[in-house]
Amino acid sequence: MTRRPLVTRRGVLRGLLGGTAVGLTLPWLEAHASTCGSGFPRRFALFFWGNGNLPDRWTPATEGPDYELSEQLQPLARHRAKLTVCTGLEAKVPNVSPHWSGAVALLTGQDLDGADEGWSVRAPTIDHVIAAEIGTTTLYPSLQIGVADDQTFSYTGPNQPSYGETDPYALYERLFGSTFRDPDEGGAVDPSLGFRRSVLDAVLGDLGRLESRLGAEDRARLEAHTDGVRDLEQRLARLQEDPPDLAACSRPDAPPREIPDIDGRIQLSARCRAMSDLVAMALACDQTRVINLSHHKALSNVLFPNATDGHHNLTHNEGGEQPEVHDATLAVMDELAYLLDVLDAVDEGDGTLLDHSLVMACSEISEGRTHRLDEMPLLLAGGACGKLVVGSHVRSQGNENVNHAVLSILRAFDLSLATWGADDTVVDTGFSPLEAG
Amino acid sequence: MDSALRSLLPLALALAVVGCGDDSASGEPTGAAPVELAPEPAATPGPAHLRRLTTAQYEASARFVLGDGLSMPSTLEPDGEALGFASAAAAIDALSALGVERYEDASYFLADQRIAAGLDGWLPCVPASASDTSCASESLEVLGQRAWRRPLTSDELAVLVGLWGDVATATDPDTGWRYTLAALLQSPHFLYRVELGEGGVLTATEWATRVSFLLFAAPPDDALLAAAVAGELDTAEGRATKVDEMLADGRLDAGIRAFVTEWFHLEKLDALDKDPLLFPHAHPELGPAAREETLQLAAWLGTSDRDWRELLTSSVSFVDPRLAALYELQAPVLDGFGQVQLPDERRGILGHASVLSVHSHSTRTSATGRGLFVRTALLCQAVPEPPADVDTSLPEPDTTSPTLRDRLTTHLEDPTCSVCHLITDPIGLGLENYDAVGRWREIEKGANIDPSGELDGSAFDDAIGLGEAIAEHPSLPPCWSERWWVYATGAPPAAYVTTDWLAERFTGSEHRLRELLRTMATSEAFRAVEAP
Repeated sequence: MTRRPLVTRRGVLRGLLGGTAVGLTLPWLEAHASTCGSGFPRRFALFFWGNGNLPDRWTPATEGPDYELSEQLQPLARHRAKLTVCTGLEAKVPNVSPHWSGAVALLTGQDLDGADEGWSVRAPTIDHVIAAEIGTTTLYPSLQIGVADDQTFSYTGPNQPSYGETDPYALYERLFGSTFRDPDEGGAVDPSLGFRRSVLDAVLGDLGRLESRLGAEDRARLEAHTDGVRDLEQRLARLQEDPPDLAACSRPDAPPREIPDIDGRIQLSARCRAMSDLVAMALACDQTRVINLSHHKALSNVLFPNATDGHHNLTHNEGGEQPEVHDATLAVMDELAYLLDVLDAVDEGDGTLLDHSLVMACSEISEGRTHRLDEMPLLLAGGACGKLVVGSHVRSQGNENVNHAVLSILRAFDLSLATWGADDTVVDTGFSPLEAG
Repeated sequence: MDSALRSLLPLALALAVVGCGDDSASGEPTGAAPVELAPEPAATPGPAHLRRLTTAQYEASARFVLGDGLSMPSTLEPDGEALGFASAAAAIDALSALGVERYEDASYFLADQRIAAGLDGWLPCVPASASDTSCASESLEVLGQRAWRRPLTSDELAVLVGLWGDVATATDPDTGWRYTLAALLQSPHFLYRVELGEGGVLTATEWATRVSFLLFAAPPDDALLAAAVAGELDTAEGRATKVDEMLADGRLDAGIRAFVTEWFHLEKLDALDKDPLLFPHAHPELGPAAREETLQLAAWLGTSDRDWRELLTSSVSFVDPRLAALYELQAPVLDGFGQVQLPDERRGILGHASVLSVHSHSTRTSATGRGLFVRTALLCQAVPEPPADVDTSLPEPDTTSPTLRDRLTTHLEDPTCSVCHLITDPIGLGLENYDAVGRWREIEKGANIDPSGELDGSAFDDAIGLGEAIAEHPSLPPCWSERWWVYATGAPPAAYVTTDWLAERFTGSEHRLRELLRTMATSEAFRAVEAP
């Protein structure tokens, strides 16, 4: 099976940097295709949760702008005006591997690759695809964050997983630790940055010489490693310059150093909210424009507070109307609502950070019990400054391919993609009810 | 690739033995006189690879370079899983951007500790000033060889000495070491085991590295590297002598423990999520203690040259007071672990809290999960993934179906389910006398547990009989040989004649682990690599 050429940010970054680290001035607010009319950048935040929903209690009964929120969407009531519910879309891939087929279809547009050594994605996930377009001038092209586990569903290519940061305090240190300079406070440049860059130069030399001796597969792996080192060096170079002068940016309060488990259960809500607070300020400070925040991974068996079994087990084994599965979905929607709260609380000129963002909330399947790939749960909030419809329930009447909606999302970030997906899954049009006139 | 995506791999040995009624596989030698050993079949070279250090290997390597007693970084790139091993995923997965950042953090975390502990007496030569580059070079030659597991080229040395000199000139000599040590530890030559070979075979230092990680779970020490550099490993005799020395070395314990940790996924015991209300024995220290029991048994069986299949049948074990309480035994020692005779209802790893807990849910056992473990890890048989679109829910326990066996009846009667569940569940049901943390029980929800069953034609009465049936299973010797091979080389055997040959030698030695390791490490297949 031939693998399709990958869209990665490698080419984009190499083109920009000409292969060497250069001290770019921050081009923030420069004319860029993917900025809002007011000059604020568009941001993309993926909010993922595992194991689906209960479609009958999820889908709103009415369509259009005056839709009534369903039972499972009640926690989002306060954001109704900025929230679009997409229903009736289907991941059109063979469901060969429960949970993974749907996740791969939704986030890469394609089906799983059944290579000899196991399943693999064929292409990068949309967080990296969007970051290749809008993440080239920020400290981080994109940030992957996991709440319950480190397996955010994020790949730069086959066998190239991007693991998520799971420790809120560690994320705080990375974003707002000693190298951070508050635009209002000034502060000195960290003197160690230059030495750290010299070390990375030596490492890049080793990587380059080693790469020339490798076969194709190992070369691809080492290129990914090299990309990571270049990202890091670029980040250090930018940290030696003045930070962008952004009114909404300031160093947030540090989260607790530890958020310990209680009775053997992870504190999902406290951890997710700590992460959301950091996400909001990372976006407000333009440290990144792309977030992949995973509440819990596909197939996760995380124990929710008060649940009698792990989430995945419950979806299969709970009887009746599955009240515990329902409660888990409500708990996740509570956390999504909190993320929207903190984004909407950041004022940015003509609107809020949420208005300048697109938050895409999704899961890898709909009904967990049977791994359904129709009725894929998909929520969009913020609208990316008017690019996509907000405050509506838009429904596909004919089980259309979810790739149509994903293509609309990618085009909202001015990616000039003619198609999305490949072979049997390819689409060349967006999901029209979603696209603002 | 993350472990979940690779959760069920088509293992090389297909499920041919299952359900075929093949009871002729009787080639089970027990205590027979040594058979004549076949010579090694022609070696098919394995793939040339970069293998990123697993977290455990990174820590062992950092200790070797910087000295014992340092705290290790709390978070590195997570270990993946391929073919059942983190060590195999390490030959496939790319490093993430976050992983790069974490390696950078880790390098400074370690370098700062080393400098705080003092460089005098540790560095071979401590430069007094930034101009003393020849002294710095002398030190870097030694440190570089330990970190990169081979001598540095003069160009590589010059870059590092230059880095040290630049920083030392701008600041002070100690600060120069901070950044130079960081450069050593962030280099791909430290982070990857480079196994590219020359002329179709591993170089002497590459071979030394592969053998050392296999037998000691650590990078090659100064003596082994010196032997490689001196050409002592260029002959089969030289290599065999070295392997024999290493097999007699106490560090073999660490090598066996590292393999078994990966093989049985014992790292999961760090974070067991058992419901403490249902399982009063569940405690954050139970998982690590349970792991220690299994590792001590495996290392003891291996280094005392017992039949390594006793992993499944041994009445000897090693417990601390916490495990003794779980097993209702008198603790052999008040603190730490001591050797014990297990009670009659418990034999080998299938009676260990480690394996039993890892392959259970947080609130109950899993016959399917335990059966899957036996099929895939112990017998190398593939089990298909469940179909996506079936309702997999089990009925709630009630008076008519109180036990798990009763409730699983659906799985075994519905043809959509039974095609796979007949492969796994009857094995797991044989272990139902142990609950989700491994505590003995005879009754579930008021009904007697029936642990009897059948494994590929061998009937068993209970868990003890199940362990014996697995130990005698004809798939075991080739499977265990293959498991070690994948772990050691990061890839399946390029030719299965190699596995068969290893299995024959393993069987011929009456299943002595050291003989298997000796055969493998001294084989031509072990050092043959394709040109990249």
